[in-house]
Amino acid sequence: MITRFKTWYDRLTLWRMVTLTLLALGLYAGVIRFTRGLGAATHLSDSFPWGLWIGFDVLVGVGLAAGGFVIAATVHVFRLKRFEPIARPTILTAFLGYLLVVVALFFDLGRPWNIWHPLVMWNPHSVMFEVGWCVMLYTTVLALEFSPLVLERLGLTVPLRVVRSIYVPLVILGVLLSTLHQSSLGTLYVIAPDKLYGLWYTPLLPVFFFLTAVAGGLAMTIFESFLSQRAFGKKLERSLLEALGRAGVVVLGIYIVWRLEDIAGRGNFGLIFQLTPESSLFWGEILLGAILPMVLFATPRIRRSESGLFFAAVLTVMGFILYRLNVAVTGMTRASGTVYLPSWMELSVTASVVAMGFVLFGFAVRHLAIFPRAEVASPIRDRVSKPSRPPRGTVPKGALAGLWLLFIVGAVIVGAGLLESPDGSQASVVPVPPGKEERPVALHLPPPFLFPPSEDSHGPVTFDHRSHVDERRPRCATCHSELFSLLRPGQPQAGPWTYESVHEGALCASCHDGDHAHAMDECDSCHRAED
Amino acid sequence: MKPAILTDLSLCIGCEACVMACKEINDLPRDTDPGTLSATTWTALETHDDIHVRRQCMHCLEPACASVCPVGALQKTPEGPVIYDESRCIGCRYCMIGCPFNIPKYEWDSANPRVRKCIFCFEKALSIGKQPACTAACPTGATKFGDRDALLEEARHRIADHPDRYVDHIYGEEEAGGTSVLYLSSVPFEELGFKTGVRNDPYPRLTWNVLSKLPNVVSVSGASLLGFWWLTKRKDTLERVRRGEITLEEAKRQEPHLFGGEK
Repeated sequence: MITRFKTWYDRLTLWRMVTLTLLALGLYAGVIRFTRGLGAATHLSDSFPWGLWIGFDVLVGVGLAAGGFVIAATVHVFRLKRFEPIARPTILTAFLGYLLVVVALFFDLGRPWNIWHPLVMWNPHSVMFEVGWCVMLYTTVLALEFSPLVLERLGLTVPLRVVRSIYVPLVILGVLLSTLHQSSLGTLYVIAPDKLYGLWYTPLLPVFFFLTAVAGGLAMTIFESFLSQRAFGKKLERSLLEALGRAGVVVLGIYIVWRLEDIAGRGNFGLIFQLTPESSLFWGEILLGAILPMVLFATPRIRRSESGLFFAAVLTVMGFILYRLNVAVTGMTRASGTVYLPSWMELSVTASVVAMGFVLFGFAVRHLAIFPRAEVASPIRDRVSKPSRPPRGTVPKGALAGLWLLFIVGAVIVGAGLLESPDGSQASVVPVPPGKEERPVALHLPPPFLFPPSEDSHGPVTFDHRSHVDERRPRCATCHSELFSLLRPGQPQAGPWTYESVHEGALCASCHDGDHAHAMDECDSCHRAED
Repeated sequence: MKPAILTDLSLCIGCEACVMACKEINDLPRDTDPGTLSATTWTALETHDDIHVRRQCMHCLEPACASVCPVGALQKTPEGPVIYDESRCIGCRYCMIGCPFNIPKYEWDSANPRVRKCIFCFEKALSIGKQPACTAACPTGATKFGDRDALLEEARHRIADHPDRYVDHIYGEEEAGGTSVLYLSSVPFEELGFKTGVRNDPYPRLTWNVLSKLPNVVSVSGASLLGFWWLTKRKDTLERVRRGEITLEEAKRQEPHLFGGEK
């Protein structure tokens, strides 16, 4: 037992501490969110109902898991079998990605216990309905695509054979479902032409969301191969990753040209050159997140160097994240009239969802045959030094440092732009000239109301609105509906209709106190014989 | 009859009877700002330089909120009002993104939150043959319940009879494909905080244009993928035959679908 404890203690590395801290913060935020509501945990509001959890956890999360269907199709449909070594980790990433998106959805949905409702309550006109179904079905497909690894490990040959026999139709179904919902996440915003800023709104949102998901998925596959190399000492499939980079050039190229052409076609090209928070974030997204990585991927010298390939992939992923956040947050800000910045609780939930992804990935690698055995240098625990990585790169370190600097400076500028108030060019409300002429408005007050006298009453009381209301400027809310019902004449709201409540309590006496209105010292002033 | 409301801003004196009547019939707390729409104020009275504007759900003829709701919690009733069924709602708040008038509000401070908005007093008044509480309470007739066509006719008459008194526009006649709540005003609507950039085409068509193409996308790309797979798989198998790894007969026996009909 003591040895076990020591082992556990030894394993508490810096990254594990960070992970545990993030998970703890996320747990705390989760408790607040589920006990006191979204308002207590987030900076969301009636003016800004979708924030970081939708923008990052869902839109980015689903998109970055797109490597799963791209690689699965490459290997199993197009039968480029040489990509097989990276298929398993990519499908694992996708599977975990979708599981975590569902976890994040539980935080964002106001009534997550109803998450199954789209299964039985249909609305085919809703993009959200379609996305919900696709994500649910695709997560199932991913679970099946992933299942051979678990079944292998458990030695269950019969189910393994069943899954293998339907593998190709499964992959094709997965590709179809992915195509649908990757694009439909963009379609969600097609119904908001007045809210999403002109640099991002277009009926082609589904096309651009699909293209960027493919590019982002490819880049993510490269990125995670590098991470696996560092973390697990996995051999780097350099020629394969280079090929993914080349594919990235094509996808990014199509996307950039089409995107710019669409902005121009919609007459919004001028917006790019106005100095606004939106345009600076747009530049960051397109220049640093799409054009620059495309050029880097397209340059053989850079693509063949490990650091160049890694950097280009990181830029693509960053550009992808920025695009999704620009649609979900930046582009929606101006029309909302508010500035949304996520609360620390939103950030910590997002961070702990990401951390959970890393933990689960590491767990799966350690227990399942994610990588071919020979390729893993040594179990992570026993590794003392990092695997030697000969500096194969031909790109000078200085140039890369410069690019990183450019990226960080860009991110800071872009971040500062976000903080700016978005009211720059918003149409200011012109002071309204006073009404053309004072118009007498006919006021139809209810007819006098006769309160039935009780047996020992001094006399009946007739209530007349005319003696209680300034007919030029009536304030109905003074008595309605706090004291008396508006809808049922004569019906008191503040307590029962008794001598005390009328003469001393919350009804008539609340105004007739000698201060706000004449006191009730003379019975005849209200109790009068009928005219 | 298509139930509708005509609000003539030039007749409104800002007495807030509509706001209070709405709160009374819907049992909403009265201690929140009556000038801003919120989860507890379903009709609000904004004031722009002495002109009072009563805001409420527009009850679009083709409502975006009902179209985007994945579970049909928001629904356009055959009678006209757009109503909300909290037992269906999953809390995705897509209705708030979709509504071009920013009407639906949310119970942010609840652990079991609902979407809140004017529902035209559908159950409590309309379905038992009464008019909504707000129009019933209005002491000046500034906001008036009636049939949409009749109210449009009346609004046109008012503009024609007093062209000096009204801007020549009935807000809601065309906006978002037409709404059940209509407005007349003596000053231009954009000066009163009305969304004047709203499209005249119904919003649900924007997304339906995309969604209705999906069956084609699925069938065409599904067929293409199957075709690609068939071609590449067949090529691979023939390659193995050429390399002598298996005989053609074995290949045909193992995977007859690749060589269908060939002898």
